[in-house]
Amino acid sequence: MIKKDECLNKTDEELVALTIENQDFFACLVDRYTDKLTRYIMRISASNREDAEDLLQEIFVKAYRNLNDFDLDLKFSSWIYRIAHNQVISSWRKTKSRPQVVKFEADGDFLKFIAADEDLALDTERKFRAEEVRAVLEKLDDKYEEVLVLKFLEGKDYKEISDILQKPLGTVATLINRAKKQLKTIIEEENINF
Amino acid sequence: MEKLGDKILDKIKKEKIEPRPKWQFLLRDCSVWLFFLVSLVVGAVAFCVSLYIFLNNDWDLYQYLHTTLVGHVLISIPYVWIAILVAFVLIANYNFKYTRNGYRHETFLVVGLSVAGSLLFGAFLHSMGMGERIENAVSDGLPFYEKMVCCGNRKDIWDHPENGLLGGEITDVFDPENFEVKDFQGAFWSVRETDDTIEYAPLQMIVGEEVKIIGEKEGPDIFWAREIRPWKDRGEKRKTIDRIVPFMPPMLNN
Repeated sequence: MIKKDECLNKTDEELVALTIENQDFFACLVDRYTDKLTRYIMRISASNREDAEDLLQEIFVKAYRNLNDFDLDLKFSSWIYRIAHNQVISSWRKTKSRPQVVKFEADGDFLKFIAADEDLALDTERKFRAEEVRAVLEKLDDKYEEVLVLKFLEGKDYKEISDILQKPLGTVATLINRAKKQLKTIIEEENINF
Repeated sequence: MEKLGDKILDKIKKEKIEPRPKWQFLLRDCSVWLFFLVSLVVGAVAFCVSLYIFLNNDWDLYQYLHTTLVGHVLISIPYVWIAILVAFVLIANYNFKYTRNGYRHETFLVVGLSVAGSLLFGAFLHSMGMGERIENAVSDGLPFYEKMVCCGNRKDIWDHPENGLLGGEITDVFDPENFEVKDFQGAFWSVRETDDTIEYAPLQMIVGEEVKIIGEKEGPDIFWAREIRPWKDRGEKRKTIDRIVPFMPPMLNN
């Protein structure tokens, strides 16, 4: 077994190289990404924690199987998020249903993070009510949800989003701009005062 | 409660899961690039044959066909080959998107470069005479090809003796200026030349040669030839008179 200290000063990429030699190091990568990916899966798939953890196991096993495919041109986090994104989509395909309303951040975090974006110029100090958030999210197009999650909640930059969703940078920028515009329109239509 | 990391490691160890070897990913990447390149080459071949067919169509004939230049252009486009070109440019784009970093490039850029690649390579192949060779090979190998593709072998254009266009196969050569042609309907024509008749190389006045003749119909089975072209590969112009070389006894050649 690997001790926690042995992983501390290692980068993700170093841990990948070490895992190829000794599978025990994979536990360090799993520990680093368990919380982040659980949150991400719950945000984009409306899964509960149990389902998200089942999915997470599949994601990590898939990542382990494909470790030799990891491209050093990418950040490890982009690579593992990409696997998570693809796994969530493939699980949607298996169940043949995509959740209509993504319930992420019904406590208001979502709008609080987005409000900080200068294009939207919303009141960042304001507390958001769950029903207000839901009213906005229900009307947001599916294709915009995930880019907004990655940009505002996961804190990914355009290049990382491009690598995760496997879309060109220009397309990512367009999606984010359109998502923000749609969000602003919905907020105005819903007459939510921010 | 057991940590997820430990749970996953247990699963990996219990099920003896191993990372897939590097060569499998390398093979996958190489296959995608190979399919991409093959698609580009097929697109280039399609363009090269299209170019050959388009350029070798009888552009001076539309006046005999009672059509306009635009009309003639429209019926001269080798649609099947162009469809093949478009299909393989799209397949190339699809393959490119599956290369390791293919997703980073905008579709219009990839399609644009695929088109440019196919056109440039196709033009190069055409300059090497590949268009003709491929067209001949496909034409010989696929019996339905001539019905599908315009224009080099289109027989209907040359089946209008009343409009001055006669096509068919030489069945008899009576003398250097008089021969017999069997047209595509099976009718026999006595074709006559004058001193002004123009021939195009590499025409050979022998039985079995397929020819295209522009001229004038006289009576039910006589056709006066103004121009005679080989069925394929029209070359230099020559006068009939140049072909008729007087007989020289071998001893005088030295």
